[in-house]
Amino acid sequence: MLTTVTLTLLEGLVTTLELFVLTLVFALPLGLIISFGSMSRFAPLRGFVKTVVWIIRGTPLMLQILVIFYGPGLLFGLPLLPRFTAALASFVINYACYFSEIYRGGIQAVPRGQYEAGQVLGMTRSQIFFKITLLQVVKRIVPPMSNEFITLVKDTALVRIISVYEIIWMGESFIKKGMIWPLFYTAVFYLAVNGILTLLFGWVEKKLDYFK
Amino acid sequence: MSVLEVRHIEKHFGATRVLEDISFSLEEGQALAIIGSSGSGKTTLLRCLNFLERPDRGSLAVRGETLFDAADPATQREAEVRRKRLHFGMVFQSFHLFPQYTALENVTLAGRLLAKERADYKRDQKRILRQIEEQGKALLEQMGLSDRAGHYPHQLSGGQQQRVAIARALALSPDILCFDEPTSALDPELTGEVLKVIRSLAEQNTTMIIVTHEMAFARDVADQVIFMDGGVIVEQGTPEQVIVHPQQERTRQFLTRFSQN
Repeated sequence: MLTTVTLTLLEGLVTTLELFVLTLVFALPLGLIISFGSMSRFAPLRGFVKTVVWIIRGTPLMLQILVIFYGPGLLFGLPLLPRFTAALASFVINYACYFSEIYRGGIQAVPRGQYEAGQVLGMTRSQIFFKITLLQVVKRIVPPMSNEFITLVKDTALVRIISVYEIIWMGESFIKKGMIWPLFYTAVFYLAVNGILTLLFGWVEKKLDYFK
Repeated sequence: MSVLEVRHIEKHFGATRVLEDISFSLEEGQALAIIGSSGSGKTTLLRCLNFLERPDRGSLAVRGETLFDAADPATQREAEVRRKRLHFGMVFQSFHLFPQYTALENVTLAGRLLAKERADYKRDQKRILRQIEEQGKALLEQMGLSDRAGHYPHQLSGGQQQRVAIARALALSPDILCFDEPTSALDPELTGEVLKVIRSLAEQNTTMIIVTHEMAFARDVADQVIFMDGGVIVEQGTPEQVIVHPQQERTRQFLTRFSQN
């Protein structure tokens, strides 16, 4: 029995991890672009981006998943997106907005003098960003990012609302057979994944400890 | 011909006039000290020279080339500002070293980036980079920091950090080296080691502009002194004229108050 349950849960874990990894792949760069928008000197763009971030951060992710999955069909008569794609799209948008605020905080925490020192040394804007600012930003955002990563692992459970079969869905399927322990068992997988993430972030933090 | 010619610079922040009709010139190999109380516009003036601020009026020329003229938009193109900045070196009050790089990397980083724009970079990359590295080491040695080349800024004292910052500014061989209150963030013990370095640069006839509160130092090292107050130049001349025998009442008041503190 244990083997059957483990295999079933592993199948769900694959979906969970796919969602986790793909969300990061798209949301990490998208968040950076959004953060540039929210710091833009062009007020209308800044206002627009800030409003979008406010809406996305101000409403439940669960609601966003439902809207993205059912919305295009019900509003415009478009065919439904594949379930996993709709789930991924909502996660990417949602997490990119959160990431953008973390990036913004990190970027704005770099002292003005760092930019000016680069400028007077004849560096271009992109040289200043990539050679000076970026690593200082990374160092600052590691702790808040580790929070977001861990939350993301757990948030993936929400996609069951549009019947994407992630790990908790799989665990729950055993309740019909009168078994509760597979549900507890799912927690072991979450703990394992988040344990690895915690170790990874600890390692990165340590790696960046060489400068202050 | 003067190395630097500043004519009628004026700068506003909103409704506040920070600089008014600033004109002076600087000869090759001379050191100019700018003195005056906080808020007199000294720092803003240096920032205008380094294109960190843009004057509302006036012009500045280096070796006869007009780098900036508020009346001529053609001199203000963003693309050229980067190259124009290289005429000036800047040493900031609070150092602004790059924390993730060692002392030597701080000194060589800008040179390595600029070298990439050279036509012969692809062909001669190794030799060019070695040259930059050697020049960086030589500069740190000149600053008395040979044994600190591999240290990160947070491992250095304030005085050492500021000397690295001086080496970093010198690495690009600017025509004019600017110091913005280079010792104001240092305790008295560390001030001496930085002043000593600046003094030796003056002895080697480095063209410099030094904004400072160190009167004795300004008197000894500068060839020319400007006293600023309320955004205007109140008095300028030799240290003897301005610091020892000031003509203006305001200069006298400032110096008296200064020697009392």
